[in-house]
Amino acid sequence: MEQLTFIYPAHDSVVARAHVGVVASGDLEVLLEPSSQQQSQVIVTTSVDGFGAVWKNVLDRFFSRFRGAVAIEINDFGATPGVVLLRLTQAAEASRS
Amino acid sequence: MNRESFLARESFIEKNARERVRALLDENTFRELLGPFDRLESPWLPKQQIVPQSDDGVVIARGSLGGTPVMIAAVESAFQGGSIGEVSGSKLACALELTLGECEKGNLVHPVLLLETGGVRLQEANLGLAVIAEIHAAIAALTRHVPVVGVVAGMVGCFGGMSLAAGLCSHLIMTRQGRLGMNGPEVIEQESGIEELDAKDHRLVWGVFGGEQRHRTNLADTLVDDDAGAFREVIRAAFQRGVPERPRSAQVERSLLLRQHSSPPPPLSPRPPSSEPARRPSRGQIWFTALTGVDGAQLRPGPGGSKSVWSTDAPLAGETARFIAVVPDRENRFPRAREGEVGLEQGWALAREVRDVLEADANGARRPIVAIVDVKSQAYGRTEELLGIHLACAAAVDAYARARMAGHPVMALIVGSAMSGAFLAHGYQANRILALDAAGVSVHAMSKAAAARVTRRTVEEVEALGDAIVPMSYSVNAYAQLGTLHRLIAGVNADAPSGEDVRRVSAELAGAVRDARGGARDLGNRLLSPEARTTRAASLEVRRRLGAQWTEG
Repeated sequence: MEQLTFIYPAHDSVVARAHVGVVASGDLEVLLEPSSQQQSQVIVTTSVDGFGAVWKNVLDRFFSRFRGAVAIEINDFGATPGVVLLRLTQAAEASRS
Repeated sequence: MNRESFLARESFIEKNARERVRALLDENTFRELLGPFDRLESPWLPKQQIVPQSDDGVVIARGSLGGTPVMIAAVESAFQGGSIGEVSGSKLACALELTLGECEKGNLVHPVLLLETGGVRLQEANLGLAVIAEIHAAIAALTRHVPVVGVVAGMVGCFGGMSLAAGLCSHLIMTRQGRLGMNGPEVIEQESGIEELDAKDHRLVWGVFGGEQRHRTNLADTLVDDDAGAFREVIRAAFQRGVPERPRSAQVERSLLLRQHSSPPPPLSPRPPSSEPARRPSRGQIWFTALTGVDGAQLRPGPGGSKSVWSTDAPLAGETARFIAVVPDRENRFPRAREGEVGLEQGWALAREVRDVLEADANGARRPIVAIVDVKSQAYGRTEELLGIHLACAAAVDAYARARMAGHPVMALIVGSAMSGAFLAHGYQANRILALDAAGVSVHAMSKAAAARVTRRTVEEVEALGDAIVPMSYSVNAYAQLGTLHRLIAGVNADAPSGEDVRRVSAELAGAVRDARGGARDLGNRLLSPEARTTRAASLEVRRRLGAQWTEG
C-alpha cells in the first residue's frame, strides 16, 4: 500500500461533492469535494506500490481539462489508468449536477 | 422470464450495493446514513497494508418502499468479498438496533437486509465474529416486532456467520443466481477435501447452495427473477405477510427431518478409524462433569439419537441451572461432526435443549443456562450444507437469544476452543462470557492453517500478525482486550480441575449470573468495559454517529 499526494492549480468553483466506484479488484473509489482554495489536491491510496509516475501522468491529463477547485481522495485497488480516468470523469460529471 | 421481459428487465444483480438500495426505495426517499463522506473506514485494514473503503463496504439508508418506512442495509460484495469487519458489522448491528428502538416505540420501520457476504473479515477476525453476534442479537429481537426481510440476490452469496443472520430472518428472498450456506464451497473443499465437494463443479455447487434448491427445500421463502421491479414487489409482499407466527429458526421440529435422512451418504474419503485407543475426555466433557457431577455419557441421547450434546440440570449457588456442552462423539452418523464440531444435529439439539428450558420456566423463575464452550469449528460437509447447517446454527442462536431476552441469565464458559460459527451457535448470545486463562483456550474466526491459506499468508505470518493486530490473535489474553469477556479466570487446571478449581469457577459463574440479572437483556454491556472503549473505539464511533444521523433530516 502506498499513499501519494498531488497538487494542481484550479480556477472554477465546483457545486456538489461526488462519490463513485468501489474498492474492488481492478477498480477504485473517488471522493470528490468542492474546495475553497485556488488549487486542487489529490490524495491517492493504492494497493500497488511504485506507480507514482503513472498516477502523475493520468492526473496531469485529467487536470489538463478539469479546472474545478476540489479535494479528491482515491482508494485504489489496482485499477488500470483507463479505469482511473473514467472514474475521475464520472466524479467530475456528478459534481456538476 | 420470456425474451421480451428479459430484455425489458432492470438487472438487480449487476448493481453495486448503493445502486441496489436506491433501486428498491421509492423515488427521492433515499437518505444514506454514515455514507462515504463520513469516512468511517476500517481501522484494521491499513495496519495490514490493505486499502480501506470510505464506507467499509456497507450502505445504510432510510426511506420508504411502497410507502412503508424502511431501513435498508446492503453489503457491498466487491469490497473485500463483502466481508464483515468491525465498522461494517457495527453499521449493520447499530442500524438494526435503531430500527428495534423505533419498533419498540410502536413506530414500525421495516428492516431489509441485502446480504452479499462471505462472512467474517479474517483480517479483523475476532471483532468480525463479535459484531456478527451483535447482528444476530438485533435480528432475533426485531423478529418479534416486524418481519425482517433478507435478500440474497447474488453473485457472491451469503456465507459464514452471516448465513445464520439469513437463517434468522422472518422472510428470505433469493434468486436462482444467489447462494446460501454456512461454509462456502471453497472452504469445504479446503477443509474436507475435493472428494467432499469440488468447488469448481458449478452444477453441484448450485445444486447444494443455489437459490432454487434453497427455495424448493423451504430454506428460502421466495424465488425472484433478476429484476429490480420484481424485487420491490416481493419485498412488499413479504411486508404484507407480517410477522410469522414462528420464524423458520424457531421451527425445531424441522430437525426431525434429519431422522428421515437417517443415513447420510458415507464419507467418500476414508476417515481415521474411530476404534483407536480411548482418548482423553475433551475439555467440554471434563468441565461438564466437574460442574454438574453428571457423567454426560450416561445421559439419555437426544431425539435425533445424538450423544454429542450433553444437557442437564445441576445446582449452582443455591439454585438450579441448566448446563449444556457440545462434545465429541466418535460414532456420530455425520462424519464431519465427530470431534466436537457443531453440525446439523448439534445445532438443532442445542436449540431444543434451550427451548425446553424456556418453555418449562415460562411461568416461573428463569433458571440460569450455562453453555460450556469447547467447540473446534462448525462441521464442513456437503450433506451439512444440503440439509441447512446454517439454519440449525441459526436455530441455536435464536434459542439462546430468546432465553436471554426472556430473562434467563445465559452464561458462556469457554474452557477450550471457541471457533467461528460454532461459537456463534453455542455461547456468543450469552449475557456474560467467561473464559479460563489456560493453554488450549482460544477464540477465533478460523483455524490458523485455514486463515493462513485464505489470507495468503504463512502460519508464521498469521501468528506474528496476531501479536500486532489484537483481533487477529489466537490468545485468550488478547481476546480479553476486546472487552467482550466478563471474566478471565486464571490459575485453574483446565485439564484436571481440583475441587477448589471447580468451586472457584462455580463462584465466578454465580457472580456473573447475579450481575446479569441486574443488567440489561441485550448485548450492550459488551461495549461498556474499559477494554472495549479502547479496542472497540470504532464500534462506539459508529454507534454515536449513526445514532445522531438516524433522527436528522
